[in-house]
Parts: sequence; C-alpha cells; structure tokens
Amino acid sequence: MKRAVEIAAAAVVAVFLILALAGDHPTESPIREYIVAHGVDDTGAVNLVASIYLGYRAFDTLGETIVLLIAVSGVMFLVKRSKPPADRDGDL
Amino acid sequence: MRHKTDILDVAARKLAPYMFVFGLYLVTYGDLSPGGGFQGGVVIASGIILLAIAKSVDAVEELIPLRRFAVAETTTFGLLLAVGIGGIVAGAGFLADFIGRGAIGPLPAARFVYALNILIGAKVAAGASLICMHLFGEER
Repeated sequence: MKRAVEIAAAAVVAVFLILALAGDHPTESPIREYIVAHGVDDTGAVNLVASIYLGYRAFDTLGETIVLLIAVSGVMFLVKRSKPPADRDGDL
Repeated sequence: MRHKTDILDVAARKLAPYMFVFGLYLVTYGDLSPGGGFQGGVVIASGIILLAIAKSVDAVEELIPLRRFAVAETTTFGLLLAVGIGGIVAGAGFLADFIGRGAIGPLPAARFVYALNILIGAKVAAGASLICMHLFGEER
C-alpha cells in the first residue's frame, strides 16, 4: 500500500515535470529585448549577466552579500573554537 | 596534527596557487566574460579550503590569521555600503553608477561594475573560507 502511494506520488510529480518541460517557453520578452539592446550602453559591462546583477539590480546583489554576512556571523556564533591553536603543522 | 599523505600534501600546495590565479581572473574579468565577484570569490575560497583540508586549519591560520578573514569580510561589506551611499552623495541614487565609463582599452571600461566585482570577490572569498575554517576547526 505504502509502495503504491509512493509510486503514485512520483508519477504525479513526473507528469508535472513533463508538462512543465513540454510547455511553451517564450524566449521573446520586452525586458530581454531591452537588456540585449541597451545593456552594454547603460552599464558599460560587455558581460550582460554582470550588467544585470551589478548594473540594473545591484541592490539585489547587496542583499545577497548581506545573506552571506549573516551566514558567516551565524557560523562564528554557533561554532566556538574548542581550544587555542597549539599544534601547528608548520610549513605551508 | 597527524600527517596526511605526501601526494595530497604536494598536490594541494601545487594546485592552490593556480586556483587563486583562476579565481582572481574570474573576478577581474567579470565585466567582460562569464565569471564575476561571487564565482571568482568562491574559487579563491576553494583554494584556501583545499589547503585547509590537505594540510590543516592551523597551517592556513599561520599563513593568514582567521581574524583577518573576518576583518576583510566586514570591511568589504562596509565599502560596498560606502560605494552605494557614494551614489546618493553624487546624486545618482543608491548603488547607482557614479564613477563613469572609461574607453575600451587595457583598463576596464565599466569601472563601477569592476569595482563592485572586486569588492564582492574579496567579500565572498573571505566569507566562504571563514565559514569552512570554523567548521573544519570545530572537530579538534
């Protein structure tokens, strides 16, 4: 019984994924046209990905760096160093 | 600290500088080719993590104290905010390009994107390696 439920759930997920893949994927969109046409002129970056994430959407990038900062703070808060570094491996 | 194999030791020490160079390339050419601050920073951090795994966290800490990673992380974040506020001061808006554009040539034309890439690269490299250093250093 449990097996049948699992198979049914997997089948439903598979159908959704296949439908999503088979669906219509519009490659034309106004914002894409705009960025391809004006991206280099607006930001100066030849790499359009960079022109988006540091030119048009730099605020989002700032948010991502804040996420990383919070992650570092959380790890440093949770992981206490158990003892001071005494045994060194020496040359690097 | 127990000694790991010589192969691991030598391979890691020979490989890590190339990883640093490749990471720096990704950061500095982020405005021209695929790459950028995040990706390049993670590649640099993976070089540091490779040294930490192959040698030891203490060996890396002897090279660069962990405290310096933390200082770099917070300093670059402060600089990012300063760059953003600089846009306001220049009257262009928060995080808007206020430096201007250079000519296409040996120096990067998109100076603002370049500067942000460098800052984010340093921040991600410091942050990602700091997380891993702390997690590796825990089990001692």
